[in-house]
Amino acid sequence: MSITNHKVLVANRGEIAVRIVEACIQLGLEFVCIHTAEDAASGHVRLAREKGGKKSLYRVSSYHDANELLAVADDAEATAVHPGYGFFAEDYRFARRVSQRDRKLIFIGPSWRVIRELGDKINTKRLARSLGVPTVPGSDKPIYDELEAEKIARSLYEFQRQQGIESPMVLVKASAGGGGMGIEEVHDIDLFRSVYRRIRNYAARQFKDEGVLIEQRIRDFNHLEVQILAERGCANIVHFGTRNCSIQSTGLQKRVEVAPGFDPSAVSYSFDAQKVLDDITAHSLAMAREVKYDNVGTWEWIVARDGTPYLMEVNTRIQVENGVSAAISRIKGQAGVNIIKEQIRCGLGEPIGYNQEDITFEGVGIEYRIIAEAPENRFSPWVGRITKFDWKQEDWLTMHTHVPTDQPYDIPTEFDPNLALGIVWGNDLAEVRLRGLNFLDNLTLEGANQAGEGMKSNIAFLHNKTPHILLF
Amino acid sequence: MLDISAVLEKIKASPYKELTITSPHTGVLTLPEGLAPGTQLHGPMGTWKEKPGSLLATLDRERNEKNIHCPEKGEVVWLNTELQGSFVEAGVELVRYRHFLSKEEVLEQILKQALHLYLAPERAKYYFVPAVDIKIKVSGPKAVSVRDGEEIFIMSRMKREAPLRYSGPEGVIYAVYFNHNQNVDTGQALIGVCPPDLITQVEDVVTRVQMEWKERE
Repeated sequence: MSITNHKVLVANRGEIAVRIVEACIQLGLEFVCIHTAEDAASGHVRLAREKGGKKSLYRVSSYHDANELLAVADDAEATAVHPGYGFFAEDYRFARRVSQRDRKLIFIGPSWRVIRELGDKINTKRLARSLGVPTVPGSDKPIYDELEAEKIARSLYEFQRQQGIESPMVLVKASAGGGGMGIEEVHDIDLFRSVYRRIRNYAARQFKDEGVLIEQRIRDFNHLEVQILAERGCANIVHFGTRNCSIQSTGLQKRVEVAPGFDPSAVSYSFDAQKVLDDITAHSLAMAREVKYDNVGTWEWIVARDGTPYLMEVNTRIQVENGVSAAISRIKGQAGVNIIKEQIRCGLGEPIGYNQEDITFEGVGIEYRIIAEAPENRFSPWVGRITKFDWKQEDWLTMHTHVPTDQPYDIPTEFDPNLALGIVWGNDLAEVRLRGLNFLDNLTLEGANQAGEGMKSNIAFLHNKTPHILLF
Repeated sequence: MLDISAVLEKIKASPYKELTITSPHTGVLTLPEGLAPGTQLHGPMGTWKEKPGSLLATLDRERNEKNIHCPEKGEVVWLNTELQGSFVEAGVELVRYRHFLSKEEVLEQILKQALHLYLAPERAKYYFVPAVDIKIKVSGPKAVSVRDGEEIFIMSRMKREAPLRYSGPEGVIYAVYFNHNQNVDTGQALIGVCPPDLITQVEDVVTRVQMEWKERE
């Protein structure tokens, strides 16, 4: 079956849904989008109306309801499901159901067995350790018992003291969480129980699972990623380089991503940065081969001040920040790489069609996450109506957004207030920083909430961080 | 001071409310035979309301049939016969019916005017803090007293949670107007608080409604 005979259900919303639709259009694929009542004004809905064919848009009760998605897939005669990120992207039960039901569909993501093996933070750590890949010290399974949690926390404090760390700290994370949600750090064992209970209750409310992970908090680190792409059957696995995602909110959510992960040609590091990049890439590829990885995935790493890398987790899905890796990648010397397009092609069964030697990297990319939030108030989300959203078009800039620029837009309260991704490319670090500042200076974002207060965004925060990217 | 007689007369002048049943999710729609404008509907019955109300529609989705029952008694005004047998999206209007207000509903309407309402400051999901939540689950809301500045809610928006303090007169929580895991719009009432000096008046409202409101069969 030629891949152009496929119709893809875009099982997501917002900016990623827009990008999946654009990739489908580039590949000549039909698509069908879904939306909830709150999302009726989202750009992906408009795109589906304007560019979609027959049966290309459905209103559903929830993006979280698998029955809803599959009922739409059947009525629209979709043959494949792209989960995007979040929602069902890393739910192996959903991926299994999609591919094993009577009317089978292709899950555009890793096979359900791979998701099951790597999607669980605990299994990933075990696998990594079995391959000699260093991991962040901490609990090997979700903890449901307060006393057990406290025991692990005490041992982590003790371990850090033995390492000579003056202010040891542990992280308490909702096991079922993600995207930086449900994470708190504890610097005093006497406060541990109250934090543990708070995260446990939060996890129960938000994720319906009380499981909590206890990990060592590594201070003074950089957060790196390796972007992997594998074809079905795992005959060919390639990587699209590294990213640095160290600029985060106080809640450990990414705000700026840079590719490549380090730039030893422009920045002096206290360790062999190129070797670290080579090592984490090699480790990631080795793990991918071991589990017979068969679509896109991201290996997330923490690199300590001395250059020691620790594997944090594997995200068995497309990441928000895939575009910044694409911006610096060239396939057989050609720019314009679209990793979502590559994901869909490979997911539908096409071979990658090129080797690692065909992928080269050029320049430096920055991805800015433009968010309605107040960084000065612990990045609290801002809710209201956007009345003006505009930016200066440049050939070195790519914007991805679901927010309309020709009419007001009310930010839904049901989802994260992410508004857009601005991806800036430059020949080198100095140029990309200047272009990044130029982009932010020319970005207009205005609005007001119900109380008439002006819109809050993280643009100034992004501006302040730009001179510091890739510095350690 | 609330003029209960005047409020009751106003409600008596317009004792109906019209409600629309929409599809809760997607699915293939079947409207039951015999359902037509003018059909009388009943709500849940039985000691524990274990018998569902009149069948209004069935949605078939992923081989699961979901029956949509009438939540209260009333009379069909309109039904969407054009969609019979077709796949419907979520939120599509299926049936409209009118309903004669019950004693509880009249009481709720009047109490909303008598009690001190604490309103949602933002569109968000609201929860009681665990200590209050347990008390309400075990003994009911009237077992909980609140005072100005007391932290009794958790406000959840975009998966971020923030504590929320009650502001208003001290009293018992007489009514809770929000449901678990459902969004509440800005300005909607979260709780109705009865201050001690209002208890007599509220009890009077309850008695008057019980005596004066005649429900229709």
